[in-house]
Amino acid sequence: MSFEVVAKSLSQIGVTLALILLAFGLVELVIFFVYNKIFKAGDKALTGMLLAPALIGLFLLIVVPLIYELILSCSNMNLHHFKDPSFGITYFFDNIKRVFTTKILKQMTFWPLLFQTVLWTVIQVTFHVVLGLMLALILNSNIKFRDLYKGILILPWAMPPVIAGLTWRGEFHAEYGFFNIILRKVFGDGAAIPWMTDGFWNFVAMNITNIWMGVPFMMVICLGALQGVPTEYYEAAAMDGAGKGTRLFKITIPLIKPVLAPSVMLGIIWTFNNFNVPYFINQFMLESSDILVTALYRAAFSYNQYGFAAAFALVIFFILFGISIIYMKQTGALKAVGD
Amino acid sequence: MKKAILFLLTVLISIPFISANGTKEATATNDNVSIEMWTKEGDADGTLQWTMGLVEKFMAENPTITVEVVKKTTVDELREDFQTASLAGYTPDLLWTVSDHAGPFLTADLIQSVDQFVDLTKFVETVKTADGSWAVPMSSGNHLMLLYNKDLVSNPPTTTDELIKMGMELTTGDQYGLVYNQTEPFWLVPWLGGFGGKVFAADGVTPTLNTKEMIDTLQFVSDLKNKHKIVPSECDYNAADTLFKEGKAAMIINGDWSLGDYEKVFGDKLGVTRIPMVSSTKKWPAPYTAGIYLMVPKGIDEAKANAVAKLVKYFTSKEVQYSQVNDFNRLPGLLAAYDAPKLQESSILKGSSYQLEVGTPMPTVLEMRAVWDGIKPELAQVLAGNLTPVEAAGLMQASAEAGIAAQK
Repeated sequence: MSFEVVAKSLSQIGVTLALILLAFGLVELVIFFVYNKIFKAGDKALTGMLLAPALIGLFLLIVVPLIYELILSCSNMNLHHFKDPSFGITYFFDNIKRVFTTKILKQMTFWPLLFQTVLWTVIQVTFHVVLGLMLALILNSNIKFRDLYKGILILPWAMPPVIAGLTWRGEFHAEYGFFNIILRKVFGDGAAIPWMTDGFWNFVAMNITNIWMGVPFMMVICLGALQGVPTEYYEAAAMDGAGKGTRLFKITIPLIKPVLAPSVMLGIIWTFNNFNVPYFINQFMLESSDILVTALYRAAFSYNQYGFAAAFALVIFFILFGISIIYMKQTGALKAVGD
Repeated sequence: MKKAILFLLTVLISIPFISANGTKEATATNDNVSIEMWTKEGDADGTLQWTMGLVEKFMAENPTITVEVVKKTTVDELREDFQTASLAGYTPDLLWTVSDHAGPFLTADLIQSVDQFVDLTKFVETVKTADGSWAVPMSSGNHLMLLYNKDLVSNPPTTTDELIKMGMELTTGDQYGLVYNQTEPFWLVPWLGGFGGKVFAADGVTPTLNTKEMIDTLQFVSDLKNKHKIVPSECDYNAADTLFKEGKAAMIINGDWSLGDYEKVFGDKLGVTRIPMVSSTKKWPAPYTAGIYLMVPKGIDEAKANAVAKLVKYFTSKEVQYSQVNDFNRLPGLLAAYDAPKLQESSILKGSSYQLEVGTPMPTVLEMRAVWDGIKPELAQVLAGNLTPVEAAGLMQASAEAGIAAQK
């Protein structure tokens, strides 16, 4: 690599850094000036100056892309209208109408795909929470080699999702995959499962992969919450004759709920929008393993329907937004943040 | 620690000013020009290193031109990034990519005619419309062919009947007669040609997947797996490649990009020939031919266009084209380079050229995406025995038509 190339790369980083620093410096100065000279409230200037970088960052990274997406959804942009798309509210309604009335995959329309996505999310979050909590309860007890188990159980979380997804895909290979080799050895040749070509089994394969990848996160969250539960409650309950089930449902779960509820909400959002696992396990082969975001990917990047894809993304956003609001109201998740 | 961070920031911030001064000086003399090239070549097979070496040599010979090579991990990444960059108004000055990108780039009006850069009559077939030619062929081929292990196959099959007979004899224990990437439509297309079919009608954009030829083709590939059992029950690219390299497969259908790799493994024991003629139709399978093409984005200024023209001429010079043949077994894009000694001497390249004679240019139209997506899942279902060829052909057609309608 020549000096020129290195210098150019460094200069690009340097320019970006310099511009960011300069911009923030100017913003801070303006805020300082506005508070002191215009509002005559110099004591509040520091609060504004400290909040400004985060607010600007959020605006640029969240608000601007959302506005851009909204604008794009009001267009007919695709490869045929790439440089000169037309914009208008009629395009927005057309795009939204297409989301609900036309096939968004080759055969499948929006509603069956939404059902598939919800099914996928419910299965995943249920397994993540139940298994994660079970493992956390075990790890929270006095067992031997606890730290070793903890380390091993956390491994799937530490592995890059792309690597994990591709590795799992290999394990579901009909002939050379781990599962079918074991099944053949135990039950004979006829026991091999067509993981990649049968819709049901492909969906099962997707679920196995994502359960493996998602349980450690919930386990760590639950373990952290469990360690904050005072042991006195259990001692008192034991003295009153409470069994294990009663202690779990009357003490443990209510006490870890403030931590668990937001984690479940995160789990719902992440799983609903999980692109990696369906993509790597199914690779757009079977529609029965597609979910809304993989359909969105195809619309945007395989078929370059940018206007339609933006409208579709807005629909997914509002579905998730609605689910999150209902969930928060029902469970009181994020209540602690409000308090 | 604080001092170190402060120092680093100072250095990073000061570099642009130093470098900007340098750039100003260069622009002032109006001599230097800097161009950016995006390539799809990878480092695993050494093609990226080779490309970088070419660029270094070009810059040494043309000290006023600086070429920055940006490697894109996959061809899809290159396509998507280029489209996004074009929207943002920041494009590279030259693209080194696969021919099928010409379709989307032309539809979106992102590339310019290359007629001004080289004389296209001196090259193999390229992407042409009424308005001109849109890509300079760097290499040609990218076609599938039959490769065989000479330790297991002394005389390769020339017809599908021979292929099946030989395949059945060679499929024993953990060894297979034939392996290939069964569920990828690119591997289905040669057989479709052998049965007399095409994916598009004469207008080049209307899909013709629900045809007798397609049904026969699907029946044939299904029979290879389910009736004659000469191919593994499931076989993707990696499985086929590994089985062949490990000597557990006598024959493989693979592309010219794999020749260099297999030559290293098998040496003289590697045989290359045409995919066998379909016995029932007496037609040769017609794999898609494409290649690596150089494309020039729209809107680059005159100084850059001149530098790009020089670079394209260098890449398509006889010397570089020979080097491509010698180092990577790629067939040249420049017709004059077909006299390369290796092309006359190497049985591998002779076999590859022999297959190329019956190949058919891969359509570069945007509609091809919908055709690929239409074929793939239904092909897998036929192989799995979940759909009959008749059902699958109908679904393929409907799917391709829906995909094309969505692109409008």
